[in-house]
Amino acid sequence: MSGRLTRRRVRLLAGVGAVVAVIVVLLMTGLGKDPSVIASPLVGRAAPNFTLPQLDGPPVTLAKLRGQIVVINFWASWCTECQVEQLALDQTWQQFRDSGVVVLGVDFEDSTDAARSYVRTDGVAYPVVEDSSSKTALAYGLRGVPETFVVNSSGRIVKHVIGPVGGAALTSDLNSMLARAQ
Amino acid sequence: MSAARTMSAARTLHRARAGLPGLLVLLALAAGLVSMISVAVSGHPPASQAQQVQQIAAGLHCPICKDLSVADSPAPLAQQMRQEIAQKLRAGESADQIRAGFVAAYGESVLMSPPRRGVAGMVYFLPLLVLAAGLITAVTLLRRWLRAPRPEPPGAGPPQLSAAQRRAVARAVARLREEEPG
Repeated sequence: MSGRLTRRRVRLLAGVGAVVAVIVVLLMTGLGKDPSVIASPLVGRAAPNFTLPQLDGPPVTLAKLRGQIVVINFWASWCTECQVEQLALDQTWQQFRDSGVVVLGVDFEDSTDAARSYVRTDGVAYPVVEDSSSKTALAYGLRGVPETFVVNSSGRIVKHVIGPVGGAALTSDLNSMLARAQ
Repeated sequence: MSAARTMSAARTLHRARAGLPGLLVLLALAAGLVSMISVAVSGHPPASQAQQVQQIAAGLHCPICKDLSVADSPAPLAQQMRQEIAQKLRAGESADQIRAGFVAAYGESVLMSPPRRGVAGMVYFLPLLVLAAGLITAVTLLRRWLRAPRPEPPGAGPPQLSAAQRRAVARAVARLREEEPG
């Protein structure tokens, strides 16, 4: 009788322990994540098309860049973190512009004058377009700047970076994408 | 006869007075039920477009704010989201279609209330499951406790005597009877 009772207690304790373990694992998994970094559901899907006016040049339509890898970087002149990644984006543009890669800056919630002044002062060499209505930002699920989307030659978003993009990581990604395309 | 009649009338009046609060409660309940049924049958009056925008925006998180809905946020991106909701309503999209559009770009985290399906749906069903499990456990334990025979405290009930003790008691009783006068 007491043996049966002990077995029952052991089973009960094992059940309670299993439930507690599941809850602890769920909490630990959730607590280990940065709540501000939310994976974009757009990765793996077709990049939303847009036609936006360029700061200094003709309007740019994303669909017309099909066949090339496009690095879409949302930024603003008032964004200090955007200045951190500026050099890396410029170097990427210089390094890959002849290999079928386009770096495209999308100015977000900014004034044209401030954006133009930033581009001239900081020597931004790649094309920059203005998203004055924020429609493109909404289509890309933007949560702030800087955010970068890498679109492959088929027009699919393959990478999404929240915060300043790292030059080495971006170069590595582009090299592997170009190698796969060959 | 007249006195009996007076007594009977007084009793009737007393009974009527005693039943009045109950009658009032019944009437109030009936009125509430009728008003609920009439609201359910007639439905809410059609909301204006501004109200619809407000309703949809209230169900969406402002993507660049902390714990603010699109309806409550003064951020330019939230304003743009409200404009986009209004445009889509004018274009004939339903509230569900508009919400689905934002979910496609931002993921389900853009919704103020988690959806009732998938892992997020557990938020709604898990508390009910835990409550049901708790009730079942409580009822089972209560029934078990009520059914189990209560152990008698030591010393309760008639004392258990050995045959020799019983014989000694019988001898003592007989002796006492013999010694009784008369």
